[in-house]
Amino acid sequence: MRSSRAARAAACVAALVLAGCATRGPQLPPVVATGLPAGVELESTPFFPQQDDQCGPAALATVLVASGAQVAPDELVSEVYLPGRKGSLQAELKAAARSRGRLPYVLPPSLDDLLAQLAAGHPVLVLQKTGAGPWPGWHYAVVIGYDASRDRLVLRSGTERRLEMSASLFLATWDRADRWAMTALEPGELPARADFGRTMEAAAGLEAVGRLDDAERAYRTAAKHWPDEPLPRVALANIALARGDPTAADRELRTALGLAPDDVAARNNRAELLRSMGCPESARREIAIAARLAAGGPLAAAVASTQRRIDASSGPDGPGCPAE
Amino acid sequence: MRNRFVVYLVCLAVLNLGSPLVAQAELIGTLQAVEASTRAQDLATVNSALARDQVRAQFVALGVDPAQVETRVAALTDSELRTLAGQVSAAPAGADALAVIGIVFLVLLILEAVGVIDIFKKFP
Repeated sequence: MRSSRAARAAACVAALVLAGCATRGPQLPPVVATGLPAGVELESTPFFPQQDDQCGPAALATVLVASGAQVAPDELVSEVYLPGRKGSLQAELKAAARSRGRLPYVLPPSLDDLLAQLAAGHPVLVLQKTGAGPWPGWHYAVVIGYDASRDRLVLRSGTERRLEMSASLFLATWDRADRWAMTALEPGELPARADFGRTMEAAAGLEAVGRLDDAERAYRTAAKHWPDEPLPRVALANIALARGDPTAADRELRTALGLAPDDVAARNNRAELLRSMGCPESARREIAIAARLAAGGPLAAAVASTQRRIDASSGPDGPGCPAE
Repeated sequence: MRNRFVVYLVCLAVLNLGSPLVAQAELIGTLQAVEASTRAQDLATVNSALARDQVRAQFVALGVDPAQVETRVAALTDSELRTLAGQVSAAPAGADALAVIGIVFLVLLILEAVGVIDIFKKFP
């Protein structure tokens, strides 16, 4: 109680100080002018007042429940709270979202993207840096709305159910946390203004921790939204292989190579698939192309490793191998 | 006798570390492909198993319930582990920052505003 009053007092004075020294103009109006509503407030976003130092579990539960997951902050403490740091790490918030079948989408570091999520109905978990120098202080809160005409944001923060903050004060704390923000989505859902790389990274995280069904939904959505990108097809092939379905995997990889004949991952994985299907000759042909494409790039070592394995299996193709 | 049992256990644990990777070592994983498209460095130079060990040790040192450590480490991706390795004590850890630390921030802001210090680089 005492600390909450102190916090409010500190926030008020800080706001006054900032109001006095802020020389930059209004922050929100130029952003909403790009085609967003003038104001949004996701009032139905739940509120979990934080206990002790546990703004991580509270903020995470807020976005997870808003996305339709059933979870209470208490259940998240053992997954994301680090006693020795008296706080929670960003990576563990993402991990806990994945464990609940949610896609943790980390936003591009821009105010436009933040407001766009709100306009699309997704509350956004943000990291703020409030300390400095020898007292680095970090805080998680959830942005649930904004009002461009008053240049203010609305947050669920700590023990405050509805904290209004001027955009310049918010930006002062958010900028210093490298504008980190994430939202939790259902795996079949895309964020507003979805970024391809960020969406795929979030989806691949689900696959990496063994949530194949959720990852597959996210990949299918990505494949539909970005029909010219080979990566979602490569990803779907990996899922098919993890499930022991080489036929489906081959279909996806051929689609990927139809879209991008120079895709190293698709070539490499098709070569390995052909080898495992008893087609060493075709595999050697594919991996030679992959090796040429990968030379000097980040996947060169991975391709070289595949090539060694394929070269070890000599002989001609068996029946049913692709003729070329 | 007991020592030998411990040795077997440790061997098993060490062997087990790489097992999810060994199964399909020659396939390029989706996460790897995503990283390759966004980063230029050779991914093979960063050792994921080593990063996993480091994060595990840091979690233990920072008071995570030993029964929870494996689950928490397993929930992180290789790319997250590589980012965190060696950084668990320094990486941002969001906490109750608006109370005590808010006051520190406030003092610094005032000092900044009156021109005594200049630490908020991105600040107007």
